Amino acid sequence: MSAPSPEIRAASRTDAAEPAAALHAPTGRSWRMLLEPVVILVVGAAWMLYVETSDLDSIEERSLKPRYVWQKTWEHIELTLVSTLIVLLIAVPLGIVLSRAWARPATPFVLAVANIGQSAPAIGVVVLLAVLLGIGFWTTIVALVAYGVLPALRNTMVGLQQVDPDLTDAGRGIGMSPARVLGRVELPLAAPVILAGIRTTLVLMVGTASIASFISGGGLGDMITTGVTTQRTPVLLTGCVLIGLLALLIDWLGGVATRLLAPKGL
Amino acid sequence: MSEARSDPPPGGATAAGPPAADDSRGIELINVTKRYPGQRTPAVDDVTMTIPGGEIVVLLGPSGSGKTTMMRLINRLIEPTSGKIIVAGRDTLGLNPTELRRHIGYVIQNAGLFPHMTVATNVGLVPQMLKWDRDRIAARVDELLELVDMDPATFRGRYPRELSGGQQQRVGVARALAADPPAMLMDEPFGALDPITREHLQDSLLRLQEELGKTIVFVTHDIDEALKLGDRIAILDEGSRIAQYATPKEILLDPADAYVEQFVSGGQMMRLLQVSRVADVPLQSVPEAAPRDDAADVLARIRAGKTGFGIVLDERRRPVRWIHPEDLDGVTGPIGTRGMATATPIRARSTLQQALERLIQIEHDWVPVVGPRDVYQGTVTLGTLQNALREMKDRGRVRRRGTADA
Amino acid sequence: MISPEGTVSFWEYLGSRRERLVFETWQHASMVFQTVLVALVLGVLIGVAVYRSARLSAFATSAAGVFFTVPSLALLGLLITPLGLGVAPSVVALTLYSLLPIVRNTVVGLAGVDRTLVDAARGIGMTRAAILLRIELPLAWPVILTGARVSTQLAMGIGAIAAYVNGPGLGEQIFSGLARLGGANAINMTLAGTLGIVLLALLFDGCFVLIGRLTTPRGIRV
Repeated sequence: MSAPSPEIRAASRTDAAEPAAALHAPTGRSWRMLLEPVVILVVGAAWMLYVETSDLDSIEERSLKPRYVWQKTWEHIELTLVSTLIVLLIAVPLGIVLSRAWARPATPFVLAVANIGQSAPAIGVVVLLAVLLGIGFWTTIVALVAYGVLPALRNTMVGLQQVDPDLTDAGRGIGMSPARVLGRVELPLAAPVILAGIRTTLVLMVGTASIASFISGGGLGDMITTGVTTQRTPVLLTGCVLIGLLALLIDWLGGVATRLLAPKGL
Repeated sequence: MSEARSDPPPGGATAAGPPAADDSRGIELINVTKRYPGQRTPAVDDVTMTIPGGEIVVLLGPSGSGKTTMMRLINRLIEPTSGKIIVAGRDTLGLNPTELRRHIGYVIQNAGLFPHMTVATNVGLVPQMLKWDRDRIAARVDELLELVDMDPATFRGRYPRELSGGQQQRVGVARALAADPPAMLMDEPFGALDPITREHLQDSLLRLQEELGKTIVFVTHDIDEALKLGDRIAILDEGSRIAQYATPKEILLDPADAYVEQFVSGGQMMRLLQVSRVADVPLQSVPEAAPRDDAADVLARIRAGKTGFGIVLDERRRPVRWIHPEDLDGVTGPIGTRGMATATPIRARSTLQQALERLIQIEHDWVPVVGPRDVYQGTVTLGTLQNALREMKDRGRVRRRGTADA
Repeated sequence: MISPEGTVSFWEYLGSRRERLVFETWQHASMVFQTVLVALVLGVLIGVAVYRSARLSAFATSAAGVFFTVPSLALLGLLITPLGLGVAPSVVALTLYSLLPIVRNTVVGLAGVDRTLVDAARGIGMTRAAILLRIELPLAWPVILTGARVSTQLAMGIGAIAAYVNGPGLGEQIFSGLARLGGANAINMTLAGTLGIVLLALLFDGCFVLIGRLTTPRGIRV
């Protein structure tokens, strides 16, 4: 589902026709870096204040209790972080292995599969896994991972592929072992793309986690489905607003992390 | 040799010759100033300058001298803050800028061809905007490609990236000429090319100009290019101050100030050789003869001359042989084919440098000089050239002293 | 996987529901095609309006980033309040998501046109409109088209979720499967919806390659 298209973000780094990271261009000045989360938190707090103080019926009140809202938010964060972590644990090592010289012939094949998998709708993947594995938290995690692993894999491979072969040659030329070339040359140089991939995965997972509620995975999506089934607009809107804000916040965090973790000089 | 025998001057309009210099096709800048907001000094400061019709005028200066700004004011790519610019007798500020630009050719570095259009479309753009009909545009495109030495059948359907840099620039020139504008602006057009291609294109431009006689404003920072191409050169200092505006020879011989001197210093005499033409120096005259002239007559003519030998010209006055008194010993009647063949003549249009190279390379001390249609004009030796140079130098020195006193 | 009673094989399912599936596939394709087309027109217009100003471009691009980040379920939810259930919120949401890659790529594509070419165009006397239509847009076209391609892929997937707000298309199959979780044909329905969308997405992507070939002048083809 979710809007960010990791495929394109990854591709944008290699495709000359597309500007690198146009979508997530660093906001630049530090005050803006700090302003964004402040705005997000203020809007969130204001919304909650508005909802809590408005006239609510009993169903709405139950679904909008601060403790309940916080619980749902935390579930959402949990789903996002756990699935992102697992995605990275699978995709990054696999991407490294698949980008070794001996695995290069398989690259186009893997990328093609990644592309096709990419076009599967998130909701389809999630429901399909629920049909196969039943519902609940771990099914949701499996579904999220299944959905997120291909773009992250693709990103890692693209990142490593675009490292200037002259530089790896230079590494070998001064007598580095293959492992050392990987650790000292390839990974640091591919780091910006791989890190951007982490951010992309985070955002993708926030979005996909919102449909976890369809298969009883929890999260803020529950507030949307509750809102729709009980026809309670305040609940529905609160779910939507909080998911949107959470996505923006996590995207911002990802951006900050990308900048802090990126090797200097790149 | 007498003035009358040298190449016809640019003004002497013969049917085949270049069109007459005509002030109505020239460009005039009158008190032109360009001031950018937020900048203390104007980029172009009160410049007045006349660019005569049919001439190549080079704006020469370092980057930041405002030479490109000055050129772009002419077709109003930049609007002047104040002043007046007249192109071909019309005040540009009274015209619609896009309309104006369609009638002034524009050539830039790297040609600026549109990569998504074929050569033919690129060249035909301006006629198309002027609403010419299709057949006329097609005919014009072919004509122009031929003019810039590109085979229309081969190149008209190609895309710019399929051409070399030099070819692209030829197409760029063809595009600028498409609507037969009276004036053309060229902004460092050959700056990005390799030296050999650049030289080639410079020669092509000169040949083209001989044929077309456009009013050309040419911007460059390369003094050698300026000396080679310019009928006149304007050397610009900061704020487009015109340090000197004169012919190449005048600039070399008589730099107006220290700034100009610094521009032309180094290899000044070599450059003088490059900008002076054989036609400009006094040639040696040698007694002339025709194959059917009587030997005794010819001998008498040789004796009367100072050189001690004569030159035999054919019926179209082309030089054929040298003839010495020994060749005529005991000969009566026509001299016929006696004598020794001359070296391949030097053309009057050649630069002194080219003439010098020839004289050093060949066995002969004397070489005939020919004008159009290979008609004999006189004879040149190393000594002739030496004298000519000495004289130019002296003249320059006198002039400089004169201006210093004044 | 234990098959509950009444379950038929996937192929049998496809056969028995052929008409409905063909209809939903058609609906899905048509919804995506139309929204992307509208988004293409709007997006290029917006891009053209903002690309000359760095400030407006930055604003348009970061606005695109924000919308991109907001999950589609949340956006759909926000839209049903003013628009109700059905086609309206689906089409608006799809158009909004489709708009963003197109706007961004239009801005980037137009900004990426070599300034010296624009200068040359001005120098030979082309009008502002002619420069935009004959030089800038054609040169930016491959990038714009890439944006539309991204939009299409996005709209395919988001279109599936639109069924949750009673939107048209193959998402219907997936949500029917979800509703019958553990029941007969749940897997067939979900599979039919999911695979149908994958196939449509691949088909559209192929079309984009073809359109790109046909509409990109030979001189700037990579």
